[in-house]
Amino acid sequence: MLNPPIIVDINSLQENLKVKLKDSKLGMISSITGQELFTLILNNNEGNASLLISDIENNNTYSALTPAIPQAHWFERYLYEMFGIFPQNHPRLKSVIFNDLGIIDYPPLRSVDQNYHHNFQRDTSFLNIEGNDLYIVPVGPVHAGVIEPGHFRISCVGENIINLEIRLGFVHRGIEKRLTQIPLTSLRFYAESVSADSSSANALANALALEQMLELNVSERSKYLRTLALEIERLSMHICDLGGIATDLGFNTIAMELARLRGQVFAMGDYLTGSRYLRNYIGTGGVRKDDDQYLSKIKSLIINLKPKLTKVINFFINNQNVYQRLHNVGKLSKSLAYDFNMVGVAARASNIAYDTRLIYDQGIYPVAILKLANESDGDALARTKVRIKEIITSIALIENVLDNIPQGTTQLVNVKHLPANCIGLGIVEAFRGELIHLIFSDENGQIKRYAIKDPSFNNWTGLAISARNNLLADFPIINKSFALSYSGHDL
Amino acid sequence: MLDIINYLTKQGLATNKELFADLNEACSGIPKINYDQSCSDLNCNKCIELCPTQAISLTNDLDNKISPNLNLAKCIGCSLCIENCPDMVFVKNLRTKTAVTQIEDLVISKEKSIANANIQPILNKNFRPLFKKSLSVRVVSTGCNACDLEINATLNPMFDLERFGINIVASPRMADALLVTGPCGLAMHEAIKNTYAAMPNPKLVIACGTCACSGGLHYNGYFETNGLCPILDVDVFIPGCPPHPWSIIFGLMLAMGHEI
Repeated sequence: MLNPPIIVDINSLQENLKVKLKDSKLGMISSITGQELFTLILNNNEGNASLLISDIENNNTYSALTPAIPQAHWFERYLYEMFGIFPQNHPRLKSVIFNDLGIIDYPPLRSVDQNYHHNFQRDTSFLNIEGNDLYIVPVGPVHAGVIEPGHFRISCVGENIINLEIRLGFVHRGIEKRLTQIPLTSLRFYAESVSADSSSANALANALALEQMLELNVSERSKYLRTLALEIERLSMHICDLGGIATDLGFNTIAMELARLRGQVFAMGDYLTGSRYLRNYIGTGGVRKDDDQYLSKIKSLIINLKPKLTKVINFFINNQNVYQRLHNVGKLSKSLAYDFNMVGVAARASNIAYDTRLIYDQGIYPVAILKLANESDGDALARTKVRIKEIITSIALIENVLDNIPQGTTQLVNVKHLPANCIGLGIVEAFRGELIHLIFSDENGQIKRYAIKDPSFNNWTGLAISARNNLLADFPIINKSFALSYSGHDL
Repeated sequence: MLDIINYLTKQGLATNKELFADLNEACSGIPKINYDQSCSDLNCNKCIELCPTQAISLTNDLDNKISPNLNLAKCIGCSLCIENCPDMVFVKNLRTKTAVTQIEDLVISKEKSIANANIQPILNKNFRPLFKKSLSVRVVSTGCNACDLEINATLNPMFDLERFGINIVASPRMADALLVTGPCGLAMHEAIKNTYAAMPNPKLVIACGTCACSGGLHYNGYFETNGLCPILDVDVFIPGCPPHPWSIIFGLMLAMGHEI
């Protein structure tokens, strides 16, 4: 899946990327120790990924990629923040993780060059917006509902949103650093704690990366069981997000009915993994638990769930009020979605046909029966429709997996050592979109860098753009239609 | 609209009538220690090596036997100890009444199990008359979202939190209790303190989930992710990663002063 890394001179990196990104996708940009820059490029046509590594010599600075490649902007901000590598001429090098409320005056992931002389300062300011009749609505970090913390600063004229600035980092826990310090047996627990709502996707990405490093083969049955976990998670969270939109629209009947049906999906998770959030199930080499008796229970649950869920969803999406509240709200055009590297539901709703399940190995994927859920409008309604389509495909996939699951065994492999100087890549379509885990080992077989790119890392920019020129009262719906993760972004 | 009403009338009652039911057999639950069994190999140490959060420690008895201690404030319920223990000392605990009012009660050890086989939570007498009928809760989330989703799940028709007189409110000004989830990183310290200061007296603080109780997986990280205890005095601790909705409701009922 991952081609051998290519060394690229830092000065020619920008030109190189411009050519490559014409028919490929930017996976992530980060650093290993603070001395070099790596760029992961996903060649979606060939179904593989290439890694470009460029050394940084010139006093920890290089010329920023963002002016030519807007996709890189968030990655370069993160790079400065975490490694102290300074991208010159970056249009706005504002902090993405650390803010005024909790500042750490050194780049925490930098592992080389302890006497680091660069004049390291963080910019935590807000964008200054002035004008007649302009007022600012600050929201958060503690929100009115039961959701994660984040700060939104909404500048409005009248009822119209002029600019939305998002400040994140309140749930930063230092997971990437911790992943390099712990025994290999505990890796998957930390991977799962990145974002609880995509814990099985994170565990799978972690397992795929480690299996690639160890050159392990996974039994066919494990692949089916992993797919089952991944799809149950997708089903559960899409139902949850749909219920969230219904709540924000004031359509409580549907919200409560969806919450009740979601209980059955939780029960499937319980039977499959022993946890409502599918935790502690997928690991290196296979899955932890396998019981035919419970699979038949899952089957009866999904047969029971399917007609009810379709009915409730139809009540919701065919309702005139729902259409009017969601249509043309929070529009994100295809070109902007492409420029800012949207992934997952947000990308597919803006007519970008991208689903990693069709391209990269994960569970039983790439599989033919999967239908790509695409919409062309790019508004909140399109995102809701994509979610609904994915709920239908997830149910079909769960039924398919349960019907066709092969006999066999599955068990976890106890990883004690990793091969030296080796790279492992795991790409998984979490319910929010493309999730990447990239592991680098050092000469002793220890992990020297564990990089995670959550789908929310790409999509927060999309939310900020699509909220512009909408009504302030519509902001909760736009936010919910993206349904992004704070903890996945903050790590 | 009539279609929806027609559909709803045929769905029957969703709400669970049995309160605080045990989890079903398939669940992992949290571990407990069966002190009728004892460790056969004095140098086994398997559970300590495997535990990702160092929740297990061993003590030597007077008669030279080893007995394990388990700190539920740190345990994330990964069941590695249950699956790998050769002597079946660690067993599954499927109870949902897990919340306690003193953090020491979350540590399971042999002395305690002898002194009091069934630890009953100690009630905080001060608050009993005030909150017994109703409790308004303000939730502050600082973690991976699992506990928040479970708190949202308590409000669904199956668990129906509001039938117990408990209400999740939007502002600290209306709140009687502050419920915090997650390991409380440095960036949230001030927000938590401010939320607490904005609440009217008397007020309660509840730590929900392993991260809030001790920092859990993230304990001792560079971003001071050590749970709620270093920031505020906590009245009720709800262990679990994430705690089941029934466990959360039990913790809230405990804060109200109910003896269940």
